[in-house]
Amino acid sequence: MDMGTIYAAIGAALAAVLAGIGSAVGVGMAGQANAGVVSEDPDRFGSCLLLQLLPGTQGIYGLLIAFVIAAKAGLLSGGASISATNGMSLLIAAIPIAFGGLLSAIAQGKVAVAGINMVAKKPEESGKAMLMTVMVETYAVLSLLISFLLVNGVKI
Amino acid sequence: MIIPMKRVTLVAHQHDEANILKALQATQSVQIVEANAEAPDETALAKAEEQVQKLSGALVTLRPFGPKRGLLTAQPEESVGTIAAKLPEALALSEKLESTARDLASVKSEMEQNETAVASLRPWEHFPADMRTYQSAKSVRYFTGLLAAADVEKLSAIDEYAEYQFFSEGVVRTCLIACPNEEAKSVTNFLKSLDWTDYSFPKMRGTPAQAIASLSAKNRTLADRKKELETALAEQASGSGRLVEDAYDAAVIERDRRYAATELALTSATFQLEGWVPEDKLEPVEQAVRSVTDAYCFSSRDPAEDEVPPSYVENSKFATPFEQVTNMYSRPDPHGIDATPYMAPFYVLLFGMMLSDTGYGIVLALACALLIRLKKPTGAMGGFARVLFWGGISTMVWGVLVGTFFGMDFDTVFGTNNVFPLIVDPMSEPIDMLILCFGLGVLHVLFGVALKMKLSFSRRDWQTAIFDNFSWILIVLGLIAYGASSAAASAPALLGKIGLAAAGCGALMILLFKGRAKKNPVLRTISGLGELYQVTSYLSDILSYARLFALGIATGVIASVFNDLCKMLMGSPILILKILGILVACVLLVALHAFNIAINTLGAFVHCARLQYVEFYGKFYETGGKAFRPLGYRTKHVRITDDSAS
Repeated sequence: MDMGTIYAAIGAALAAVLAGIGSAVGVGMAGQANAGVVSEDPDRFGSCLLLQLLPGTQGIYGLLIAFVIAAKAGLLSGGASISATNGMSLLIAAIPIAFGGLLSAIAQGKVAVAGINMVAKKPEESGKAMLMTVMVETYAVLSLLISFLLVNGVKI
Repeated sequence: MIIPMKRVTLVAHQHDEANILKALQATQSVQIVEANAEAPDETALAKAEEQVQKLSGALVTLRPFGPKRGLLTAQPEESVGTIAAKLPEALALSEKLESTARDLASVKSEMEQNETAVASLRPWEHFPADMRTYQSAKSVRYFTGLLAAADVEKLSAIDEYAEYQFFSEGVVRTCLIACPNEEAKSVTNFLKSLDWTDYSFPKMRGTPAQAIASLSAKNRTLADRKKELETALAEQASGSGRLVEDAYDAAVIERDRRYAATELALTSATFQLEGWVPEDKLEPVEQAVRSVTDAYCFSSRDPAEDEVPPSYVENSKFATPFEQVTNMYSRPDPHGIDATPYMAPFYVLLFGMMLSDTGYGIVLALACALLIRLKKPTGAMGGFARVLFWGGISTMVWGVLVGTFFGMDFDTVFGTNNVFPLIVDPMSEPIDMLILCFGLGVLHVLFGVALKMKLSFSRRDWQTAIFDNFSWILIVLGLIAYGASSAAASAPALLGKIGLAAAGCGALMILLFKGRAKKNPVLRTISGLGELYQVTSYLSDILSYARLFALGIATGVIASVFNDLCKMLMGSPILILKILGILVACVLLVALHAFNIAINTLGAFVHCARLQYVEFYGKFYETGGKAFRPLGYRTKHVRITDDSAS
C-alpha cells in the first residue's frame, strides 16, 4: 500500500471517529437529562427524544465524509492507488468535519440538555428549545460543506 | 395589518350580566380590562375553578384507559350548549373516579410498605424465636444488626462479656449480640469500629419467618383488592374519555367567564364593563349585547395617550399563518406596522432556496397538506403546518431551478441533456450561486430599509426617512454598482461613476445630517462618522445570506451521498446478494431521505426565521405589543362551532 492510500484512510477514519465521538458524547449527555425528565413525567418523552437526537447528526455527517473519501480513494473496492499529494489532500479535507463535528456535537449536546430541562419545566416551550439546539447545528453543516467541497475538488 | 383598537365601555343591568357575558364570549372579540376598584366577590370564580381542577384530575386518571387518538384525527366539533350539558354527568363521574383512584393509591402504598418489610426481614428468616423477646430485657441488652462477613472474626474481642450468634450466610450476616446492661456502652463503641448496621425488628409477633408469611398473605388479599379496584376504574373509565374532555372544556369556558365577571365594576343595580375591541368588530359586539337586552349603554373611543392597547393583526389568508413566525419574535407595537405581510413572500422564497430539492418539496408539501386536511390544526401548529406547506411548494420550484430531485440531477432522472438546472448549478458554479444569494440579501435588507422609510413618512418625519434611511439605500446600491463595474470589464464605466457618486451622496447626507439634533457642527459630523461605521453591519447582514447557499448545497450533498451509498449496496455481482441489497437499499433510502428532510426542514425553518428577525426586522420592525386575549373559548379537546364572530 502506498502513502497516498494510507493518508486517505487516515482522513476517512478521522472524519468518522472524531465526529462520531462528538455525537456520542452529545447524545449521551442529552440522554441522561432525558431519562431524568421522563422519570418524573413520561409524557415528555416525545419532545425530549427529539432534542436528544439532534446532536446525533454530526456523527452522520462524519460518516458521509468518511464514505465519500473512501469511495474516492478506492478504499472500498481495494483497487486503485492514489498519489501522496492526493491522499494528503483528502486527509486535510476531512479536518473540518472531524473537528467541527466533534466540538459542535458536544456544544449541541449541552444546549440539548438545557433544552430538555426547559421542557421539563415548561412543556409548551419545546419548540423554542429545539430552535436553540438547531442553531448549533449550523456550524456542523458548514464544516460538512467545506469538507465535501474539498474532497470534491481533489482530482484523481 | 394592524387593526386599531377601540376602548369600549358598556353599562347594563346586573340581572343581564351573565347573559351579556355569554354573548360577548361567543363573539370572541372583547378583551376585558379590570374596572373594579373593590375586591371582587370570588366565590363563583372559586367554584368554577374547582370544577376545572376536578375534571383535569379525572383526565389524568383516565389517560391510561382512553382510546389513543390517531395522530391525524381532527378535533371533534361541538357547540357550547352540548358540552356544557355534559358538565353535571362528568362531575359526578370525576368524583367517583377520584375516590376509586384514591383507594387504589392507598392499597398500592400499603402493598409497597409490606414488600419493604418482607425484604428487610428476609435475611432473618432463620432466626428461631419470637422477635419481641429480643427487643428489651431487664438485665440483658440485645443488639440486632447486620455485620460484614469480613468483620466476623473480630467479634471474638468481646467474647469475655458478650454472647453472639449468626443467622445467615453471605457477605453481610445477620447477627444477635447479647451482653449485660453495664457492658452495653463498650459493645456499642466496639461495634462502631466494625462494618455494622443496626437493625430493629418490626413490631410484630412470632418469628421473622412467620411474619414474612403473614405479610405475604396480607399482600395477596391486597393484590386481589387492587385488581378489583383496577377493573372498577377501567369500567368507570371506559367510553367516558370524550365526556370528561368535553366537560373539561366547558368548565374552562365557564371559568373564563366567571373570571371576566370579577373584573366588572358594580353598582347596586348595574355593572360597568371596560374593554378593548378591534375597530372592525364593534358592530358584532354591540349586536351581541342587543340580542340580550335593550337596556344598555355602549360607547367606544380611541385609546388615550397613556393607555396601551393590545396589538391585534388581521392578514390575508396567505399571510395569516406567518403571524406565528412573527409571534415567535415579538408582537408588533400597536403604533408600528405589522411586518407579517411583507415578510411572508420572502420567507417562502428563502425557505425554498435552503432546501432546494424538488423531491423533498413534494414530500414536505404533501405531508403538510395531509396534516392540514385531516387534523385541521389550529393555533400555532396550524400556522406552522401552513408555513411549511408554502415552504414545500417553494422548495419544489427552487429544486427545478437548481436541478435536483431527491439528490439526483434532473437530467439523470428525465434523461434530458443539460436542460437543467434552469438557472445555476451550485455544485459546479458556487460563486454564481453565492452572488445570487447576496443579491437576494441586498433586496431583502433594502426592502426593510424602505419599509422604515415608509413608516417615517407616515409619521410625517421626512428627515428620518431621507437622511437616516434613504441615504443607506444610496450607499449600498452605489457601492454595489461601483464594485460591479470595476469587477466586470464589460460593464460601462459610467455605471461605476454613477454608483460612486450615489454612495458619496448618501455618505455625505449621513455625515452632515445624522446628528441633526446637535447644534455644534463638529459634534454633528462626529456623530455622523459614527453612523457611517454602520456600513460594516450592512456588510455582515448581506454576507449572512451566504447561509442560503450553504444550507441548500448541504441538503443536496447529503442526499446525493445517501444515494451513492444505496447504489453501492445494490451493486453486488452475485444475484442473491443483489436482490437482498436492493431490498435493504429501498428501506434505507426511504429512512435516510426522511431523516434528511426532517433535519434540513428544521434547519431551513430556523435559518429562514433568523434572516427575517435579525437582517430584515432589525431594519424597521417595532416590537413590544401585547397579545390580544379576548374573552373567548380556549378549548383543548373540542372545537367550538357556534361562534357567531366568524
